[in-house]
Amino acid sequence: MANYPTTSGSRENTFDAIVIGSGISGGWAAKELCEHGLKTLVLERGRDVQHLKDYPTALKNPWDLPHRGKLPHTIARENPIVKRCYAFDETTAHFFVKDGEHPYVQEKPFDWIRGYQVGGKSLIWARQTQRWSRFDFEGPARDGFGEWPISYEDLAPWYTHVERFVGISGNRDGVETLPDGEFLPAWEMNDVEKHLSGKIRGAYADRFVVQGRCAHLTAPQAIHLEQGRGKCQARNLCYRGCPFGGYFSSNSGTLPWAARTGNLTMRPHAVVAAILHDPGSGRASGVRVIDAQTQETKEFFARVIFVNAACLNTNLILLNSQSARFPTGLGNDHDLLGRHVAFHNYRGSLAGQMEGFADSYYSGRRPTQAMMPNFRNVRKQEMDFQRGYMVFFGASRASWTQGNYLPGAGAAFKERLTRPGPWGVTMMMQGETVPRRENHVRLAADRRDAWGIPQLVTSIGYHENDEKMIQDFLEQGEAMLSAAGVKKITKTDDRRAPGLDIHEMGGVRMGADPKKSLLNRWNQLHTCPNVFVTDGACMASTGTQNPSLTFMALAARAANYAVAAMKKGTL
Amino acid sequence: MNERMSRREALRRAGLWAGAAGVWAGLPKRTWAALPAPEGWSPEEERLLTIIGDTLLPATAGSPGAGAVEIGRFIAMMASTCSPPETVSLIQSGLREIEALSRAEFARGFIDLAAAQRETLLITYEKKGASLAPAKGRHPLRPIKQWAVLGYFTSEPGATQALRYDPIPGGYRGAIPLAPGDRTWAT
Repeated sequence: MANYPTTSGSRENTFDAIVIGSGISGGWAAKELCEHGLKTLVLERGRDVQHLKDYPTALKNPWDLPHRGKLPHTIARENPIVKRCYAFDETTAHFFVKDGEHPYVQEKPFDWIRGYQVGGKSLIWARQTQRWSRFDFEGPARDGFGEWPISYEDLAPWYTHVERFVGISGNRDGVETLPDGEFLPAWEMNDVEKHLSGKIRGAYADRFVVQGRCAHLTAPQAIHLEQGRGKCQARNLCYRGCPFGGYFSSNSGTLPWAARTGNLTMRPHAVVAAILHDPGSGRASGVRVIDAQTQETKEFFARVIFVNAACLNTNLILLNSQSARFPTGLGNDHDLLGRHVAFHNYRGSLAGQMEGFADSYYSGRRPTQAMMPNFRNVRKQEMDFQRGYMVFFGASRASWTQGNYLPGAGAAFKERLTRPGPWGVTMMMQGETVPRRENHVRLAADRRDAWGIPQLVTSIGYHENDEKMIQDFLEQGEAMLSAAGVKKITKTDDRRAPGLDIHEMGGVRMGADPKKSLLNRWNQLHTCPNVFVTDGACMASTGTQNPSLTFMALAARAANYAVAAMKKGTL
Repeated sequence: MNERMSRREALRRAGLWAGAAGVWAGLPKRTWAALPAPEGWSPEEERLLTIIGDTLLPATAGSPGAGAVEIGRFIAMMASTCSPPETVSLIQSGLREIEALSRAEFARGFIDLAAAQRETLLITYEKKGASLAPAKGRHPLRPIKQWAVLGYFTSEPGATQALRYDPIPGGYRGAIPLAPGDRTWAT
């Protein structure tokens, strides 16, 4: 198929900007571009999901749910991949891609968790929003596995820009490894978490236990009320969609904001097959789209194209954007496209029991946890593994679910289940993985999806470095919990496949050197500068933080750069 | 003496029948009535599961028992739809064992026992389960308890009367004193 404009009537299909994908980063690109007056087309491969209106389970009580939230076995059997996702259940299944709908080829096991709808995975994200620190941006160059073309200072104003609109709760902790941001009031710790925090801080000078920062409105400001969003009600049913707009999503925040400028055209059911390259100008001219419902092919044109299809699908689109100039994928002059995919290592966790605190309880359901920024290899290489990990931990009292394992029957048994049980403590790791050339995705030679697009092959695995990090976390976790007086500690390596972290990053990485990277410091393809990639695919390393805040900041920064360059006539 | 024994026995029997009948009479139509009866379960099995569920989680001061939410249908339905396929036969073998144990120990069926006897029998069964259960795998009472506990504490009376249910807490407080008698949160 010729890779240049073929659609008659192209004038009606022409916009100033096209954004591929409406998830957390695409929503930000759309908002910024529309606010600056660009007629913007957002292409979303899935169905429309309107804030409030399309959250069918949001207000259901437990007894309103036929299986009380559990997944019927038939659904679990048909979805061996997505069923492993902690957030996939009877109340949320409609926001997840089912395994059979969009197959891919696992050369190595990879649990690819996807949300194909307007809003993408911003409806079902975990909403943890920590800034990267300078140590994260400087890490790849220091450790010799890559480079970031930007510094913390380059991104800091854009973190601020995003945080103000999104609404992030948190404390100003003053920890160098976890820069403070623009915060709404933080969530409280409970008594056992405060105890753990104090004991661990007392035992380790460089380990800071802080409250997790999250995209929840604890005290909505004017900018949030203007979005129609309200205070988080501490229901912690977020994955169903929030009827209060208490947490941030594209659906509740950026997309309606973009729409009210009058500059947004939203097109659901639009599967992007390829970006079109114009050999005359050396630029991308538009995109080829297949209507998911009618299979009809259409082309849309614009001066700039933002690719925000979510990490692996962004890779797929670029790999499939083949032309005479780019026979192996747009911008791919060096067989780097699709390579250096990395993720977060979640395999290690610990659990234990804390005696005492019998007369202390809590109310409400907090949508975040306490956390500890990375303390390994921060200022120099110290360990027998590279990089480090963030630790999440929390404490809560056992509830009636103790009935699953406690012996007994009758009034005494029932009575016991109706009282708060002993305190349990949990801990889990979020480890940085080093992007490696061999960890890659590519197009399948012989398998296509329902729209005739080649399926993606995933070839992404763990490395010895990851195994060493897991062992270190489990040892350190046990030591920290023991120091805090936690008993009956169990350590687990669940050996999960990569992907279940839903933090896949890379494949279209940023870098200063066009020979070693695909994107420049403004997220433009080095060799096709009107194409911007500002989702997880652009990441040159993974850091230890939950990545969405950084994706949003990068998207906003790149969109504002694009607008300024277009106004100057340099783009 | 004999007369007193038989009177006591008669009173006891009347009491237990009143108890079992009360469980059935009190079934609200709304709880599981919307669900079709799961295939592969006899009415007797469903009824036995309800009585077992009500024995595990009986009516106490302030909240009804699991029988009041038709727990038998929920256990059967969850075993059929949300459990590994072998769970149905596991539970059904458990029901036969409970019934056999009841006849061996008390010379009557489980449903005909007094509430205290039913409770004693389930505790006995849970303890000696290892010898009664299939050679490998789970004790049949485990999935029964699992689904009874879930079904009851997520039911409206279970969540709002036996526990505390707050659908819209409004905020989070990290440290509140727990007074004796305070119940756990339903969600």
